[in-house]
Amino acid sequence: MIKRFLLVSALLCALGMLAFAPVQAEGETLSVAWPYQVPPTGHFNTFASGGITLGQYMDLHEPPLAVLMWATGEYAGMVAEEFGWDDDGNYVIKVAEGYSWSDGSHITADDVMATFNIFRLRGDAVWANMTGIEKVDDYTVKFHMSAPSSLAERIILTTNLRPASVFGDIADRAAMMSPDDDGWNDLLQELTEFRPESPVSGGPYTILPDTITEASLMLELNPGGFAGDIQNYDMVQMWNGETEVVTPLVANAELHYITHGIPPTTEEDFANRGIDIVRSGMNNGPGLYVNHDVYPLNMVEVRQAIAYAIDRIQNGFVSLGESGVAVEYMTGMSDGLSEAWLSDDTLDMLNTYDHDLMKAEELLMSAGFSRDDMGNWMDDNGDALAFELTFPQEYADWSAAAENATAQLNDFGFDITARGVQFQQHPQDIYSSNFEMAIRNWGLGDPIPGRSYLQAYNRYNGQGEVAGEGAGAGMNFDNNVSYSGGMINVFDVSNASSQGTDAMEQASLVSQLAISYNELLPAIPLWERYTNNALNRNFIMVPDSSDSVFANFGGGADNWMTYLILTGVTAPADM
Amino acid sequence: MAHHQQQSRAHLTLSDRLYDIASNVYNNYTARVFLIAIITIWAVMTFTFALVRLMPGNPLDVLIEQILTAEGVSYQEAYDRVAASFNIDSDATTLDQYFQWLGDLLRLDLGTSITSPGTKVIDEIARFLPWTVFAVGTGLLISFVLGIFAGMPMAYYRGSKLDHILSFFSSFSTGVPNYIWGLLIIIVPGIAWRWFDIGALRGTYDAGLTPGLNAEFILSALEHAALPVFTYVIAILGTWMLSMKSSTTGVLNEDYVNVAEARGLKERTVISSYVGRNAALPLFTQLTISIGFVLSSGVVVEEIFVYWGIGHHLFQSITVRDYTSLQGVVLLLTAAIVFSNLFADLTYGLLDPRVRVSGEK
Repeated sequence: MIKRFLLVSALLCALGMLAFAPVQAEGETLSVAWPYQVPPTGHFNTFASGGITLGQYMDLHEPPLAVLMWATGEYAGMVAEEFGWDDDGNYVIKVAEGYSWSDGSHITADDVMATFNIFRLRGDAVWANMTGIEKVDDYTVKFHMSAPSSLAERIILTTNLRPASVFGDIADRAAMMSPDDDGWNDLLQELTEFRPESPVSGGPYTILPDTITEASLMLELNPGGFAGDIQNYDMVQMWNGETEVVTPLVANAELHYITHGIPPTTEEDFANRGIDIVRSGMNNGPGLYVNHDVYPLNMVEVRQAIAYAIDRIQNGFVSLGESGVAVEYMTGMSDGLSEAWLSDDTLDMLNTYDHDLMKAEELLMSAGFSRDDMGNWMDDNGDALAFELTFPQEYADWSAAAENATAQLNDFGFDITARGVQFQQHPQDIYSSNFEMAIRNWGLGDPIPGRSYLQAYNRYNGQGEVAGEGAGAGMNFDNNVSYSGGMINVFDVSNASSQGTDAMEQASLVSQLAISYNELLPAIPLWERYTNNALNRNFIMVPDSSDSVFANFGGGADNWMTYLILTGVTAPADM
Repeated sequence: MAHHQQQSRAHLTLSDRLYDIASNVYNNYTARVFLIAIITIWAVMTFTFALVRLMPGNPLDVLIEQILTAEGVSYQEAYDRVAASFNIDSDATTLDQYFQWLGDLLRLDLGTSITSPGTKVIDEIARFLPWTVFAVGTGLLISFVLGIFAGMPMAYYRGSKLDHILSFFSSFSTGVPNYIWGLLIIIVPGIAWRWFDIGALRGTYDAGLTPGLNAEFILSALEHAALPVFTYVIAILGTWMLSMKSSTTGVLNEDYVNVAEARGLKERTVISSYVGRNAALPLFTQLTISIGFVLSSGVVVEEIFVYWGIGHHLFQSITVRDYTSLQGVVLLLTAAIVFSNLFADLTYGLLDPRVRVSGEK
């Protein structure tokens, strides 16, 4: 019996060793990652939910019209070789000639028309400023605008182009209809259920359907597509999965670049393995929101005191290591945007709320608050400054930020209780005003500053009714504010600052927003999240980390890696 | 009058028939447990239908939050775009949705995915289910066979070094959850020792192959299943070993074993025909019931090895709140557990003549 058992064990071990035999790695293949769903859940209709878009790497198979260089504020043309406003205030783009889709059809104005007509069918934001779209010639398209807008320009230019050969039929029918027509919803349903048999690429690489597995998919070179003639790779391997899934592959040098956010301990391990960590400001991060209906959080002195009482450098570091960078200017937008849009004089006059417990104490005392025998703060009614601070419990970095802020404020004499809330329920609680203090995001990963302010003044303020979970008003902040520059409606100014094309006028409005925010602190920014992309330079050659291209953090559009691929810069390290 | 009497007779006949059917079902053990199984499945599914809708967030919220964070548009705009993308009828009440779903279910139609409009839930299940059945089923069978063969010598030589070593291994194997084994396999031989490329063994088969009965595909599928199957085996093996040891120890004290030895039968005959068969009987019931849990036991392991089966699909459906997909998978899991128990009930008599004879009496 024992002999038989040993024999079976030896046989199993032998089979195991055969199964675990090392597999030879591919040759010059760019190895990157993005999560996707496999068919049948995943499909090739990139307009519909479930489509295999590959996030920022969508640029490789459905190329953008242009990319914004964040360091200079200038657009670099991609499929669009010429673009700009005409004298009538309409936007005109000219598509570069000589490129083709992987099904053989040429990239022309028809593709632009198809793409934007489908956007109209879906009700996309770009049509809020558009009154129509016109094909001027085979390669030129005119966007008829209700008013010129730098926001509309950005949305148009960062659009990923789709093939008219695939979507043209539905797009043409949509162009002939209006949303009030009977068949509009049926057409919309037809669009969402449309399943192209195979992907059609206009970029340098094409998805190979037969290679799609749960593990990865392959994109092969599309020589006729945009930038297909300047590529340094024959294939791109797209590994599938979120952070915990791709981390072992990076450690094992099977995967060479990821944009996934990684915890500080993993970052340290990668660094020990010689993997570079690339950091770019993401223009957003966690902030401390307060319910302005809760006394005395509606008092500006209290919010300012909180800002002074929290050491933001410590808070950022314990939350996300070197990628949690304390906010300096406290303007409601990132420090990078503040420096780009505000004059030196304006920057100098901003209060940076450096960690200073004495100033925090003075502010509370000036408001009539006092400490009890135990050193805890009491407001002018004799009530303790006791609040609940909620945070999305699944977000490790925001949880750490909440717990650290709680500890610091309690050390100062507040009585804060931190409570984790399921991450999908948490924003609903904020929309419904069902909170006292909460950690939510300030800012937005977008180079247009006005959009950063819409997080505080719109998303978390006054949307409770639409948001569905109640009839609350978010953080209950009155958007009509009075500050040292006068009275403004911050929501209106936020929207106005991204309209028009006069940069000076826009900067003036942004200054109003920045100064008023700095004075009133409707929500208290804690730190800005920086990327910690793992880049294995033993396999991939890109410019040094000091290059200005790395300002293009690009969670969606404008990503620096896809820009470098599209411009033929990214190459194997051994080239 | 005659017409009225005819109607009355017809009415009585129908009542009688219904009564007869109910009586037959009640008096027939097989029909009765089958009916109870169906009612159980309906109850679980109705509970699930309500429960998933009480969870925080919904399919729209998940995508709306992504758009709000990424683009900073108004909630209404994000909502409109997501609703268009999903093509959801947000005006339908929960009760309407329930009866719609129940009606479809009676026609064996599980509906279409919410987050991938136009994709049938049954197609998704068909895509993922076979891999879970294959990997977990193989792991279960291998561990069962190994457990029986390893458990018997543990009982025979109890107190020996072999017993101590195998008992320690069994306890350790049982105590460590399968996902810990999975992580250990990835980290130690995979990353630290570099015995294999982690990425190359991910997925259910190699890219570029067409599933079918060809050697290349079968070998590839076996290779990709190796790590998950090994994990399942090592995580379950201890349970079978300890169960078999316990069962064998009990049988060894039975009179018929002593009689068989006293009759001078060969040791091999006593082991296989008298001890082994009787000791393994209770384990067959345990195995039958375990089959029902096969489908639900691999969620985390499938995530760790990126070996996507029905467990991954369940996890994904919960994450994005895809109600229809989630209900489809839960229905499958419920039916598997209920019917495996039913199967165990109905077949045990076939395996053990003592039960059958007792039942006939």
